[in-house]
Parts: sequence; structure tokens; C-alpha cells
Amino acid sequence: MSGQARALIDSMPDQIATEASSLSFDEAFTLHHRAVFRTARAVLRDAALAEDVTQEVFLRLYRNQDSTPGDELLRPWLLRVTLNVARNTIRGQNRSMARDTVYSQETSGEGWQAPEEDYERRLEIEEARRALDKIKEPMRSCLLLKQQGLSYREIAETLSLKETNVGSLVARGRKQFARVYGKIGGVR
Amino acid sequence: MRECVEEGILQSYFDGELSMDMMENVSSHLTSCLACKRAARELESESLLLSEALEPEFRLSVPTERLRARIDMALAEERLRTPARATVAGRAGLVASWFQSLSELITVSPQRAFGYAGLVMVLLFAALFAVVRFLTTPGPTANPPSVAVVTTPSPKTVSPPESVPTPKQTAPQNTVPTKGPRRDVQPKFVPVKGAERANDDQAPRVKLLPGERSYLKTIAALDSSLKSKNATPMRPSLQSEYERNLAMVDRAIAATRNAAKKNPNDPDAAEFMFAAYQTKVDLLNQVADARLPNRQQ
Repeated sequence: MSGQARALIDSMPDQIATEASSLSFDEAFTLHHRAVFRTARAVLRDAALAEDVTQEVFLRLYRNQDSTPGDELLRPWLLRVTLNVARNTIRGQNRSMARDTVYSQETSGEGWQAPEEDYERRLEIEEARRALDKIKEPMRSCLLLKQQGLSYREIAETLSLKETNVGSLVARGRKQFARVYGKIGGVR
Repeated sequence: MRECVEEGILQSYFDGELSMDMMENVSSHLTSCLACKRAARELESESLLLSEALEPEFRLSVPTERLRARIDMALAEERLRTPARATVAGRAGLVASWFQSLSELITVSPQRAFGYAGLVMVLLFAALFAVVRFLTTPGPTANPPSVAVVTTPSPKTVSPPESVPTPKQTAPQNTVPTKGPRRDVQPKFVPVKGAERANDDQAPRVKLLPGERSYLKTIAALDSSLKSKNATPMRPSLQSEYERNLAMVDRAIAATRNAAKKNPNDPDAAEFMFAAYQTKVDLLNQVADARLPNRQQ
């Protein structure tokens, strides 16, 4: 009977296809979960919410394994979904900085070292985030993505832009950032 | 400056995004044009500032293990739900979905393989035990009956994969599994720790997956019912604490599960795993219980 069942499975190509691509799901997670999580955290400023978003993004990847692009376009796909889900999350509920504070205290040892350094680093991060906040889209996202090592093509793909425009968007974003960050108190 | 090299092109030049001949054009222009040289220097210092400013943000650690555990758990739930989705979609009717659920059961994921191996072993032991008892009671005239009994296990071992999909396929998402192979009592919202523990004691030691399966189903049912109540979200601090606890339990499940997988014959390992699952069920039950009165107010 199991032989029969096996034969039936063999005659189902899509079953086998999903089985084969479930391997690449693991690879996709290993390769891209950091970019997904970091992008979500940078947008949401909340590690716990960023975890929710990351889970949702990879669930969507799992559900759409047949229709997602492979290889080099996978990361843009994941990050596009990440930005969408993160923005919906912002719309859905007010961000609470208090929650992030509690979270980062509880998960101490994973990301934060000595208390003074902890405090200083937190200030730095806050300053950079405030400066980024002053930059309009899509320049802001261009900077975020570029800083994570995405190519212009990947950035264009993620944000649905023309690849030829990415250079000047990055340049404008960078200039604005330098101006605003200086004012906020960033030290050179 | 704009007449010379446009700022976007200059940026692309420094980001290595230009074609080879464009690269050469820009670099030869930079050697001769003072204004562009100044712009280039400015660009470099601003880029440095930007990457230094954003570096701490990206240096924050990424909780890889916790993310992995969460996603694995979510995927396990997702897999339990997919057969139901297939019937709703009605892609190729009942037969196709039946085959799908059948094939889902037979796919050779390691957990399933272990589960079935455990089940087969239990059945074999049961058959052997039956044979031995049968042989001891009637006396030495053993040969003909033993042959008759020994042949039975082979169809028996295959039958569970067939019989399990039927409840799965007909049952809608939220119904609590009532037909788990042996470990069957699963609470929906009421924590019945005692009853569950008693069940644990009865459970045969070798089989890993049958019990695990019904736990996963219960967890999925509880989780989805919790999520469906999300109209009134938890307080953020409470929610994060709940999620942290959940992540901890998930990690415990993953660890005990590994141990149980490595030592399929060790009853303690299986016990630990079931205890970890039970903790998760208890936690979910607790949250569900706690939120129930809130909603009525």
C-alpha cells in the first residue's frame, strides 16, 4: 500500500516541487533573516515587533514559495514584503518605545554590554534614527537598504524604482542626512 | 559642479555601480576638475558619517535562534492547516485533497520518519507480545497460529497513515483533535494538567510523533483562537512578556525534541519533550483563560 501511495505522490509534480523548494526555504532564512529583521527593526524601532514582522515575512515566503523570485531577486522580494508589513504594523498600532526599552533590558547580553556603553550606544542609535526620520521616502529607504549592502538593482527592485534613479536618490538622502545629523548633535 | 559630473553619477561612481567606460570617464574627469574633486571629497566624508551613524543600529544583535524557533513553530501550525485550506480551495475536489493529506503524511520529513518508525515499532512489539501470549496459553502447538498472527503486522503498520487523514480532512481548523492515535484528551481552554499527566503515564514509551502531533494540533487551535481574539490587543509589556515566555518554551521544546529524537528508546527523553509541550499548552491556556473575562467586561 505504501508503494502505491508513493507512486501516487510521484505522479504529483507540484507536491515534489514544494518539497524541493522547502530546502531553499531554510537557505533563504539563513541568508536573509538578518536583513529582514534589521530592516523591520530600523523601521519599527522595536525589536519585539520586528520579530513579529520577520515571522510574518517568512510565513509569506513559505506560502508563496512557488511564485517568489529566486536567487538575486529573493532578497528584494523579502525586503519589499518586510517594508509593507512593517508599515502596516505602524499603521495598526502606535509604536511604544517603552516596550522596546523593556525588551532590550530583558535580552541583555545579546546586544548590550556594559551599562555606560549601553547608554551611549542607545543615544547614538536614537540620534541616527531621529536624523533618518527627517529624510523623506524613498530616499530614507534607499539609505537603509544601501547601508545593508544592497546593490542599486536590488534597491530599485525592493522599492519599485528605476535603477538609474537610485544613485541620485542615495546622493540626496546622504546630503540631507549629513545636514540633519550634524544639527541633532552627531559628532564627526 | 552639475555641469561636470551629476551628483547621482558621482554617487554611483563611488558605489561601484557604473559601467566600465563610464567609470573611466568619471575618474579622468575627477583628475582634471577641481569642483568635482571637492564634491567627491564631500561625498566621501558624508558617506563615512552616514555609515558611522547607522553602524550601531546594524550592529545590534539579531536573535537568530529565537526567530528560527518562532518560525519553525509557525510553520508547524501552517502545515497542520494546509490540508484544510486545500479542501476550501477545492482545487481538484475531495479526492485530490485526500491524496494531498495522504502524501503529506508520507512525506519523508525526519520527524515523521521517526514518528512512523516509533509507531511501527510499537505495533511490532504489540504483535510480538500477542504472539508470545498466544503461544504460552494454548501450549506447544504453536506453528500454525504463529504464522497466522505474524502476517498481520504488515497491513497494520501501514494502516495508520490512511486512517489519520480522514479526521484531518473533514475537521475544520478549530476543532480539537479527538482522534489522536492513543494520546487523545486535549483541552481547548480548560487546563486539565492532571488528566494530561495521567495520560502521559499510560502512553507507550517509544512512539514520539503520535502524541506530539496531537499536542501540535492543540497548540495550533489554541494559538489561532488566541489570535482571533486579537481585536482587543494585550498591553504591549504583557504581550512582549508573553512572547518571551513562549519563545523560551519553544526553545525548550526544540531542545527536548532533539534529545527525544536522538534517543527514541529513552522514555525520559520523550517525557521531557511532552512536559515541554504541556508547558506550552498550559501557557496558552492560561493566556486564553486570562483574556476571556477581559472580553466579557
